Amino acid sequence: MNKMTRGAVVLTAVSALALAGCSSTDAEEPDETTTTDAAAEVEAQDITLWLAGTDTPEVALTYLTDTYAEVNGGALTIEQIGWGDLISSLTTALPDSENTPDVAEIGNTQAATFTTVGAFSDVTEYYEQWGGDSLLQGFVEAGSVGDSIYAMPYYFGSRAVFYRSDIYEAAGVEVPTTLAEYTEVNAAMKDQGVGGAYLAGRDWRSGISWIFANGGEIATYDGEWTATLASAESVAGMEQWQELFTTGGVATATDDDTTTYSAINDEFLAGTPASSTLAPSWATWTLGDFDAETESYVWNPETFGVYALPGVDGGAAPVFAGGSNIGISAASQHQDAAVQLMDIIFSEGYQSLLAENGLGPANLDYVEAYTSLDTFPGVNEIAYEAAANAKLTPAAPGWAAVEEAGIMEDYFQAVAEGGDVATLAAEADAKINELING
Amino acid sequence: MTRNKTLSRTIGAAVAVVLAIMWAFPVYWMINSSFQTTATINSLTPTFLPFGGTLRNFQAVLDETAFFPALGMSVAVTAIALVLCIVYASLAALAIARFRFAGRKTFVLVVILVQMLPAEAMFIAQYKMLAGFGLLNSIIGVSIIYLAMVVPFTVWMLRGFVAGVPVDLEEAAMIDGCTRMGAFRRVTFPLLAPGLVASGVFAFIQVWNEFALASIILTEDEKATLPLWLRDFAQTSNLGVTEWGQVMAGAVLVAVPVIVFFMIVQGRMAQGLVGGAVKG
Amino acid sequence: MATIADDAPAVTEPQTLNKKRRSVLPYLLLIPAITALLIGMAYPLGWQVVNSFMEYGLQQQFGQPPVFVWFENYAALLTSGEFWTIAVRSIVFMAVTALLTMGIGIGFALLMRVIPTWSRIVLQVAMLLAWAMPIVAQMTVWNWLLDDRNGVINYLLSKVPGVDMIGHNWLIDPLSFFGVACVIITWASVPFVAFSVYAGLTQVSEEVLEAAQLDGASGFQTLVRIMIPIIRPVLTILLLLQFIWDLRVFAQIQLLQDFGAAGVRYDLLGTYIYGLGIGRGEFGLASAAAMTVMALTLVISWGYVRQLLKEDEQS
Repeated sequence: MNKMTRGAVVLTAVSALALAGCSSTDAEEPDETTTTDAAAEVEAQDITLWLAGTDTPEVALTYLTDTYAEVNGGALTIEQIGWGDLISSLTTALPDSENTPDVAEIGNTQAATFTTVGAFSDVTEYYEQWGGDSLLQGFVEAGSVGDSIYAMPYYFGSRAVFYRSDIYEAAGVEVPTTLAEYTEVNAAMKDQGVGGAYLAGRDWRSGISWIFANGGEIATYDGEWTATLASAESVAGMEQWQELFTTGGVATATDDDTTTYSAINDEFLAGTPASSTLAPSWATWTLGDFDAETESYVWNPETFGVYALPGVDGGAAPVFAGGSNIGISAASQHQDAAVQLMDIIFSEGYQSLLAENGLGPANLDYVEAYTSLDTFPGVNEIAYEAAANAKLTPAAPGWAAVEEAGIMEDYFQAVAEGGDVATLAAEADAKINELING
Repeated sequence: MTRNKTLSRTIGAAVAVVLAIMWAFPVYWMINSSFQTTATINSLTPTFLPFGGTLRNFQAVLDETAFFPALGMSVAVTAIALVLCIVYASLAALAIARFRFAGRKTFVLVVILVQMLPAEAMFIAQYKMLAGFGLLNSIIGVSIIYLAMVVPFTVWMLRGFVAGVPVDLEEAAMIDGCTRMGAFRRVTFPLLAPGLVASGVFAFIQVWNEFALASIILTEDEKATLPLWLRDFAQTSNLGVTEWGQVMAGAVLVAVPVIVFFMIVQGRMAQGLVGGAVKG
Repeated sequence: MATIADDAPAVTEPQTLNKKRRSVLPYLLLIPAITALLIGMAYPLGWQVVNSFMEYGLQQQFGQPPVFVWFENYAALLTSGEFWTIAVRSIVFMAVTALLTMGIGIGFALLMRVIPTWSRIVLQVAMLLAWAMPIVAQMTVWNWLLDDRNGVINYLLSKVPGVDMIGHNWLIDPLSFFGVACVIITWASVPFVAFSVYAGLTQVSEEVLEAAQLDGASGFQTLVRIMIPIIRPVLTILLLLQFIWDLRVFAQIQLLQDFGAAGVRYDLLGTYIYGLGIGRGEFGLASAAAMTVMALTLVISWGYVRQLLKEDEQS
């Protein structure tokens, strides 16, 4: 106990708060005495938190502002920055100590752009306190430069195969257990004209699983980053994806990921219906039967199901993890208060709250609330299973520029159109290498 | 001959109606979609008439998003930038159309050059500048930048209109005892009205539509202008399926004030432009 | 603008007037406009000029001192095929879109002259609706019209026998992408041109036209010999405005990229500079690109600018 750092005291205090306040729907007045120790050490400061898009639910926002007011005494302002404007807003605001958000969320593929230039404070010393090895390790890596951690995991979502059990049944096929079987099953359904895999040609975030499953990588680091799409493993993976796309796919080469997720709903496609799609776990909100009453899609466990994308030799294939990281702006004038906010974010109360609202919590100790969520039975369990296996894009300074240039989309589309994988991969590598080292 | 003429007029009318349908169709489709339910919108077969529609989209947009604050921001920013722009630019137009003075040519050249400069690389510097002034997320801050953005073109355009007002009138007024400025105010400005409307509309279009700079300067949610609001709204509902019904309802709300405004000014605007060009 | 008409009586007179009255008045009149420009532009423009000679990337944005690199940014740009490809693409896009807009706009104006009043009003109202649409609303609506899955355009095209456009994405192939952009911008700009030309044509008196008809001139001859010369000043200005606007186009392309495919293949100069700076964090390069574009624009329009300045001198 005497070894506890200041932050840890706050953490305990916050957890106590959470236990008292979170389970009931009304925000109860937390016990004042639990917070006084911690609050005494950091003066009350008004700080700002930037969250990306509207992914964080309203109830979590309220929790943060209320708890911060209790712990610190200052006011927490939360701004939701649209994903499309996030990079530009962070680029301009983060270096500006007068106007920087004190804490900011960032997409995990964009994290390296900022961590490598020193935009975020080094928070390595708080690693243990904020969850240590229970934190999602792939995301910790995404927010690290060398041995120092600059951006912590915030939440995750991973990808799973959402499928129509009724179509599988009608076609007489079983849920596949290997990646090759996934192709066979879809080819069989497509031959019968009853269904097929909806994997959009330009949706590389889904398709990249085939490369990962075959042991390939987008790029490797050896002093500097080098693209490895043309490695034997990566090419083998892409060829497998190409085979699936042509023999068992019902999407077109030019489709992108804006339509992928809902493709398995009734009457979505004009031609052969989609019997499965690989989508982020939060896609469940748009999947199901249409309910005219609420004007929304309601998940129907009778006809909809979910399984983890199978690996090459069974098990689960590594999938691309969606989600984001969060860090303290290096230019912030309220470093201590920002640490307090991070304490709250990584507290059991807040992590559980994220989990209950369908976002994979950064700290896997609290994943129980996520996997047992009964809104979509079974979905989050699979998502968690896949997340344990999830991989991220290279934590390279120039990765955001690679995405901006749309190189991956173009590569996948060209492969979907039937091009020679090895040649296309070499071309894509060359383009990536130009940008990836910043 | 007359029968021929009647026939060609009828064909002309038919062509005009077809063209009118083509031009109005996107606007119609926006309105039509905004009244449809999610099920109707998501269907593979489009529904061409909004009968049996719903107001739910509008309800959702107005209840769940900050439309009115965004409208307020847009109106405030546009009003400030526009009024100052018209006043400043017409004074400058007077100066270069009516006087010869050292530095005049330089000013004209600057006015022309500035318009050739792409705005997109200056965003970062403009942010730094406003941050230095402490004017981020403020109406004044954005207005300052927008004002500088529209003044050159407005000066350039108004100059033609000022030149179109005969000097004799001003001189007559001065003989009657007006000062130079008095002559401008009593005689020239009233005659400039169509030109002011025309160039004002151009400035309005530019300011009202700007969103790229605004997205960097106005980071606080409640400070978004209308274009930012609609763009963010179209993006955030982009989880899998875009809620086209709601997005179109949002677009309708953004478009209606401008359509009304244009209905009011359009006659003067076209006449104004022609007047400036021909007389100038 | 004032310089286009040859027979402008007003421009010669103020000379005598002003020679007599040298005063500080013109300077006073310029103060507000110059102040506004200085406040809004001076620092950003200065920053841009300075940083076009600096290595200024994200590192520098986050505290590293920028390094002075002379003309390296300019050299990098001017020797890269990418920049020139996009520059040429922008100019072609500008020319095609502006000419298309002018052609259709003039056609509309001529049509409006000969049709019954009721149909003219119908056409005018329709055009006004299109013209008044704010850009973000315009682009959102067009994106919905063009939606690959259940957009109405694909649906209607598929009604044509033998055509199946369902699922066709218009924004992936770059040529198709720019075709769509061109159609949308033309759609939105035609009304302004049509209204202005129509207003200009109302100044052509009926007597002149009747006289021409009596002399046996054909419709086409009347158009080329009589109408066009009279409205030439209007046409010149309109064409110039279209050129300027279509070369500087940013919002439409950016929004179309938001919806469709992104990347350099879909860039025009505006979005390219934006992507260089905000997207990739290469602020030095972006600044150099902006300066280069200004220089290019000046070179292209030099003839016009010089004429403008010369006529200005004479006045």
